[in-house]
Amino acid sequence: MSRNGSLALIFHTVFVIFMVAPIVVVCLVAFTPEGYLSLPTNGFSLRWFRTIADYPEFINAFWVSLWIGAVSSVIALLFAVPAALAIARHQFRGREALSALFLSPLMIPHVVLGIAFLRFFTQTGLSGTFVALLISHVIVVFPFALRLTLAAATGMDRSVEMAAVSLGANSWTLFRRVTLPLILPGVVSGWALAFIQSFDEVTMTVFLAAPGIETLPVRMFLYIQDNIDPLVTSVSASVIVITMLALILLDRFYGLERVLAGHSDRGR
Amino acid sequence: MSFLELNGVCKRFGDHVAVEDINLSVTKGEFISLLGPSGCGKTTTLQMIAGFVDPSAGAICLNGRDLGSVKPSKRGLGIVFQSYALFPHMTAAENIAFGLEMRGVPRAERELRVRDALVMVGLDGYADRHPRRMSGGQQQRVALARALVIKPDVLLLDEPLSNLDAKLREDMQIELRQIQRSIGTTTVLVTHDQTEAMALSDRIVVMSKGRIEQIGTPHETYEKPASAFVSQFLGKTNEFPGEVDRHAASPRLVAGSCHWPAPAGVTGPVTVTVRPEKVGFGGETHNGLKARITNRIFQGNHWLFQCETECGPAIVVRQNTGEAQPTEGENVRLVWRAEDMGVRPRGAGR
Repeated sequence: MSRNGSLALIFHTVFVIFMVAPIVVVCLVAFTPEGYLSLPTNGFSLRWFRTIADYPEFINAFWVSLWIGAVSSVIALLFAVPAALAIARHQFRGREALSALFLSPLMIPHVVLGIAFLRFFTQTGLSGTFVALLISHVIVVFPFALRLTLAAATGMDRSVEMAAVSLGANSWTLFRRVTLPLILPGVVSGWALAFIQSFDEVTMTVFLAAPGIETLPVRMFLYIQDNIDPLVTSVSASVIVITMLALILLDRFYGLERVLAGHSDRGR
Repeated sequence: MSFLELNGVCKRFGDHVAVEDINLSVTKGEFISLLGPSGCGKTTTLQMIAGFVDPSAGAICLNGRDLGSVKPSKRGLGIVFQSYALFPHMTAAENIAFGLEMRGVPRAERELRVRDALVMVGLDGYADRHPRRMSGGQQQRVALARALVIKPDVLLLDEPLSNLDAKLREDMQIELRQIQRSIGTTTVLVTHDQTEAMALSDRIVVMSKGRIEQIGTPHETYEKPASAFVSQFLGKTNEFPGEVDRHAASPRLVAGSCHWPAPAGVTGPVTVTVRPEKVGFGGETHNGLKARITNRIFQGNHWLFQCETECGPAIVVRQNTGEAQPTEGENVRLVWRAEDMGVRPRGAGR
């Protein structure tokens, strides 16, 4: 580790403050006793946290978000893993085109995607269903799942697989016992990134959500269109706490560094 | 009685010919090396035996059975890779047990055989270690145990020692040879290291540009190289231009100021080759090349002399026997026995 100079230290401090300040402000405002957005000056109150209970649609939206995020990222990986293995190790006609197609959702603005999906789902009669929302999220998070899986698959030593084959492993055993464990860090990172992407998505989802299947960001977005009160801050604060708890648990049981950096070193 | 046989095996990648017309038969229990510089097709040949690369032409037979339609997973060969290719998420014991598991060996017998294999490579006590917590040499041993525990018909070694440091490599060479001798597994080693090939093999297959240059025992290939390539690739060699003169009273071979009776079969301009350690220093009256010593390098058990002869540069290696050796700048005569000398028509070979 190189020691930081004082200038660098100041820069990093300012940078961290800049990054964290909005989150801190939101969390502070969540504890205001007032009926409007303000920093709590006359003591702290849990009033706005209690209010969440009066809006079951927020809680419902949270579960929808969780489900959509979890399921869409898993489905995306079911396609991303074989795709990544094929792209990483085989030369075939249309390989580049396929790779570009898989990553194309990154290049299209989510507003455009939202309108396109709305039109498509209306035509096919899927509009306003959970399935429609799920399909759109799978497509949007797919590039994230693919990129990290691809990185892991590309960096893998092929001779390890050859060794397994020479020892008598058939294709399925090879995948289950050797290939998958070796690319697992990339797969888990891909899943985490895809989940976060799905959980965060609002621009596109706002076009596709229907009453009862709104995701949390959409619900909040719609809420602040009509109301200006600290309820969204208390909801945000709750989500932040839940996320932090999840990360702590993840770190305890799996190791955060491996999830975020896709390290293949399995520290047992 | 050949056990492993390659008949007219070729491999082309597009226009590039990687391996051309390889014919080789290996007897049971033999240790054979494919030796050559990188890009000579030795690894491709090994991969064709293993089944990871399909030959463009020719057939590979093992124990009388054509391997052409046999999948790599069904060939029953043990392979040790240059990178060891251990399963990083498994312990040493799990790595070794993998092949036995694939063969459906019951757990009790599996554990027994894994333990024996670990003992064989001198790693008892390391069963529960993960590869990343082992040294290169230890990983190498695990890889060897993993390949041998399935009792393969043929053991294929792909540059297995090239990632080890020099000292360890020598130890492993000896150990590898002992293990191979004691269990008698037919072994094919791919290497670019001629000392390794010589130390380990019963026979060496010298390859260049996808073709076999020579097949022979280490001694044969060194002492009687079949081509200029072989003599240059296996150890160092001195080359001088010469001439076979059959018009003189008695036919003779002339190089610089010395001459020998003409060898049979060649005439006209020739290249004379002689190994550095076969060259000695003689006095002015001797039949030898005039030379001046430009450099004298002490290398512990031997001296290395760089000389400028009347026929071009040469090197001489003398054992450090304690005798006085010529000094730098001294004029000497380089002498050697006629039978230690190779003669081939000039321009041939390469």
